[in-house]
Amino acid sequence: MNRRKFVALAGVGSGLLILPSFLYLSSPSLRKYAGELIREELHYLKLAPGGVDQYIEDYFNASANNILTNLKWKSYYYLGIKAENSNQIFELVKYYLLSTDFFIHRMDESKVLNYLGLYNPYKSPVPNPYSFVLYPEI
Amino acid sequence: MKYDQYDLIIIGTGFASTFFLKKYLEKNKGKKKILVLERGQFFPHAERLKIKRGETSNFKGTQEHWEDTVINKNQEKKWPFTTGFGGSSSCWWGCTPRFMPSDFQMNTLFGIEKDWPVSYADLEPYYEETEKIMSVSGPDETPFPKKGKYPLPPHRFTAVDHILHQKYGSQYISQPTARASRAVPGRNACMANSTCDVCPVNAKFTIENSGMDVYTDQQVEIVYGAQVFSLETRGNLAKKVNYVKDGRDYEIAGEIIVLGANPIFNTNILLNSGDNNSLTGKGFGEQLGMQVLIYLDQMKNIGGSTWVNANGYMLYDGLHRKDFAACLIETNNAPYYIRLERGKWLNMASFRMIFEDLPMESNYITNSADKLVPVINFNGRSDYTLKGIENMKNKLPGLLSCLPVEKLKYLDPFPNEGHILGGTRMGHSAKDSVVDKYLIHHQYRNVFVLGSGAFTTFSASNPTLTLAALSLYTADHSF
Repeated sequence: MNRRKFVALAGVGSGLLILPSFLYLSSPSLRKYAGELIREELHYLKLAPGGVDQYIEDYFNASANNILTNLKWKSYYYLGIKAENSNQIFELVKYYLLSTDFFIHRMDESKVLNYLGLYNPYKSPVPNPYSFVLYPEI
Repeated sequence: MKYDQYDLIIIGTGFASTFFLKKYLEKNKGKKKILVLERGQFFPHAERLKIKRGETSNFKGTQEHWEDTVINKNQEKKWPFTTGFGGSSSCWWGCTPRFMPSDFQMNTLFGIEKDWPVSYADLEPYYEETEKIMSVSGPDETPFPKKGKYPLPPHRFTAVDHILHQKYGSQYISQPTARASRAVPGRNACMANSTCDVCPVNAKFTIENSGMDVYTDQQVEIVYGAQVFSLETRGNLAKKVNYVKDGRDYEIAGEIIVLGANPIFNTNILLNSGDNNSLTGKGFGEQLGMQVLIYLDQMKNIGGSTWVNANGYMLYDGLHRKDFAACLIETNNAPYYIRLERGKWLNMASFRMIFEDLPMESNYITNSADKLVPVINFNGRSDYTLKGIENMKNKLPGLLSCLPVEKLKYLDPFPNEGHILGGTRMGHSAKDSVVDKYLIHHQYRNVFVLGSGAFTTFSASNPTLTLAALSLYTADHSF
């Protein structure tokens, strides 16, 4: 089932947020939808293999980890909701970028993004992407 | 406890108490009996860091949560604070702008509320001394009068800061801050981690790393876990301090008593002591903060320092304060405000707009049936503040016309600003206030009531530098 069919089936065009039960019961891994959202949102960047999946594991283990949380991310994916329209997707993708070496490489799109561990200002090597540590010439 | 009676009893170990005690010790060398009663424990910075990193610490879970210590009648309004050694120095963000001279003369200049009984000129030398003790980093040019230079050079500007400083000069400056721009004894240089409550590199001034050493002075005895709830008074003097420790009530006699808890608990102690001044607890509140996100076109806002990077005074002073609130701009160099559009990730500036509020009688603190638990009654903001927000929204686009702004996004006001003010305000007599210009209670003449609770009006500026300077001022003039 592709996204367009799903949207039509679930009636989400009219604002419904109810998923058909078969969809989530048959899914091998509910968290994969959150990962797919990141890959779609950042399709133009080179994401290191396995990095997104590890981030998703860490992200959800660090926050609420239950079936409702996973269902939420599945529905975001299938409903085609983008970061610009959802604070929760925005937060998911934002923290992914902050958890990689993307900003350490000064946002160089040609470089592969490596996951460095879940963003934590007390652990991350350069936690502030705006800072003089990365841009001493300003 | 070493003695039955002390020359000086101080309640609390935060900024207000510590700066008061420093000046007191300078003027009374080696001959006093001093007792300090601290309700919390000593919780070292190193242990706080372990917890932030997710490591094991024996201190985990030992700290009180503020909501467990008060009855907060308005659940939409939050009043977070930290208890324990060092008070709010263990959680503040190190912002140390001075108040503007006009903040002390709101009635004379604008017909608003009352003037403070102390002036900017009275406090100026104590501002200077406080900035030296805190090794404040700051610029040469400031919007408020300043005789000397800051001890440390200013933090770095962002690209946006450079442009705004070029346009507005001393009205837009690198924020004066107690986050060290260079390493000093006991503290490292700030590394722009943008999480300052527990500084990852110990760059921020705290009582613990201050080197002030007042609590290790041989005259001083400190008791932890001692929760003061009232004073025993006789006539116009306080004779004893009553407190709970390990579930038992105690009392201790003192000649001079200094209340250095936060405004909520200072008020609770006075009300439990029979203070019948109708103003005690009244005019309590804090400033209002709200965030504005500034989306920039083809401009990265890079190169700056940590979270609070600069201050803008373009909406602060002027005759508009007759009608609506001053607004202090804090520019936030924060990792959490990035964009996800391709190529625009750092094309963003975020400003926290801080508005003064008025000390209204409808916002007040009372005591409760539980002697340890005060009640916070907060019934809303003044129209003066709300009009200030509207003015800001009208003026900000024009003020930012020197920047390539795509759009502005105003976020909802925060539920707290972290600056608890009023409740034991200072003035000329018991008819208009609770304490006098030296922070001595109008009735109980051997009781000092320190801290930002004494502020006559609230200002739009961060209060810590001013309350610390007030402690130096009052101790210097009283002993």
